[in-house]
Amino acid sequence: MGPLTYFGEISTEWNYVIAIFIGMAFGYIMEASGFSSSRKLIGVFYGYDFAVIRVFITATLVAIIGLLYMGYFGWIDYSVLFVHPTFIFSATIGGIIMGFGFIIGGFCPGTSLCALAIGKLDGWVFTIALFIGIFIYSLVFPLIKPYYNMGDMGHITISEYLNMSNAWFTFWFAIIAVAIFYVTSVIRKKVKEVRY
Amino acid sequence: MSKRYILLAVVFIGSAFGLVVLPDKHDTKQIPAEKFLIEIYNPARFLSTHQIAKRLIERDPSIFLVDVRTPSEFEEYSIPGAFNIPLEHILDEEWVDYLSQDGVDVVLYSNGNIYADQAWMLIAQQGIKNLYIMKGGVNQWFSTIIQPVEPPETASSEAFDLYAFEKAASIYFGGSFANIESATTTPIKKTVVVRKKKKKAAEGGC
Amino acid sequence: MDFWKENKTHIYWNPYFGGFMLGLLLIATFYITGRGLGATGGTKSAVITTVDKVAPGYAKESSYYSKYYDEEKNPMNNWLVFETIGMIAGAFLSGALSGRVKFRVQHPPHISSNKRLIYASIGGLLFGFGSQFARGCTSGAALSGSAVLSLGGFITMAGIFGTAYIVAYFFRKMWIN
Repeated sequence: MGPLTYFGEISTEWNYVIAIFIGMAFGYIMEASGFSSSRKLIGVFYGYDFAVIRVFITATLVAIIGLLYMGYFGWIDYSVLFVHPTFIFSATIGGIIMGFGFIIGGFCPGTSLCALAIGKLDGWVFTIALFIGIFIYSLVFPLIKPYYNMGDMGHITISEYLNMSNAWFTFWFAIIAVAIFYVTSVIRKKVKEVRY
Repeated sequence: MSKRYILLAVVFIGSAFGLVVLPDKHDTKQIPAEKFLIEIYNPARFLSTHQIAKRLIERDPSIFLVDVRTPSEFEEYSIPGAFNIPLEHILDEEWVDYLSQDGVDVVLYSNGNIYADQAWMLIAQQGIKNLYIMKGGVNQWFSTIIQPVEPPETASSEAFDLYAFEKAASIYFGGSFANIESATTTPIKKTVVVRKKKKKAAEGGC
Repeated sequence: MDFWKENKTHIYWNPYFGGFMLGLLLIATFYITGRGLGATGGTKSAVITTVDKVAPGYAKESSYYSKYYDEEKNPMNNWLVFETIGMIAGAFLSGALSGRVKFRVQHPPHISSNKRLIYASIGGLLFGFGSQFARGCTSGAALSGSAVLSLGGFITMAGIFGTAYIVAYFFRKMWIN
């Protein structure tokens, strides 16, 4: 029963080897989906290429459904999975800052690493700036610490918050996802093609 | 719109709907009855008062004594270092961390065996490991550690060795021999409970 | 066939196929490690290590780094660092197989490459800052968070994409004519 490392079935050394392989798969999938190109990524905001949102939502949906089924059949202990903690203030503001970073920089951290790997200099610059951004954050951290910890809601899930079952939330999410896929395909046909 | 995409949409919504209609599953956290029965008959779930006294004297940090009696009984007398969780509250959520510490033997005791045994069954069913019962409870503790009885002259030398240990332990725990020789008992430090984190803190993932 | 060869550098996976594979990878990651994927975690470890090399002792004292700094454990010795190394290798592999590996700056035709680099650096700074504030970036918080239905994950996802959509109009000159 998974997660394997949680139940001590994998030693630390192997865990790191696995980390490299998982990372390789992650990098390969992103690059093969075209995430190393900032112009392709940013197309999602101007309607000429919706690859990002399609990959992103499909991946989320597959993972949510898959993990819930695995939990149901007892292959994975759903209760010990790491649920990203919710700090309402920092999640919102951080998301907004990252939204600006995305539209200006044309990458997000994972995709900039992919771009870097295939020699895109804008990817290199973005990654170096990412380092500096993290460093600046550490310098101002004492000043913004109270905001960082504001609105702590713990390891809450969205279905708990909306007071519905995981299954029903997933069902509605699947319907919304399909609707998004359809709408984006309609928009895509109307927007002038951009070659890159 | 290609047929493949329609199929994809149907698969997504269908599998999500599948989750909705799946019947509620039973709680798989509990260990199966057959396995549990074997564990109940395993004599290793009992620890003798001597074993416990020895480990307390050695200040073994991997032992955690839980007193399942009522708070008033606990106030009256308790084994040094013990922690009071009355039997009726043993399944409360707040004690889960105390009872399931990694690498720590949790030893339950009551006045006799019965209540400790009931507590053991309740918690062991939740899949908690390293769970023991102090055999004979506080009564046995008194008759062996606090006020040990000298074995008859005809007893074996092992019995006398044990008695020697009991006398020493009695002094340590402030029993009947404590006043005879100079009482140099040092209070045993309260066991520090290492709370197991429920969710592993994988801070700042990303 | 010729068409395929010529345009090979621009042939990407079908996004739904890519998404499906990424979803399976997420499941595998959760099955093995109990948590999701990440991209800035490894970067942060690298920052901490660098700071520690440049100014020994500072990392220990800084209130932010000290959380992650452990004397016995080298911060580089971190799951996410290995994962990040793997990411770069995997992306390189994919790029190399499709003939996309080349040193160049990708920029819209009406934007000079220098301008593009300046924009990329501003974006990187903001993303680095924002990802630390939100406890994770697009992969760590939004993708992996949402995979286990974390409320914070969905909020961060909505924050990133929502903001970018809202402000996209004002930055359109950077990307399209």
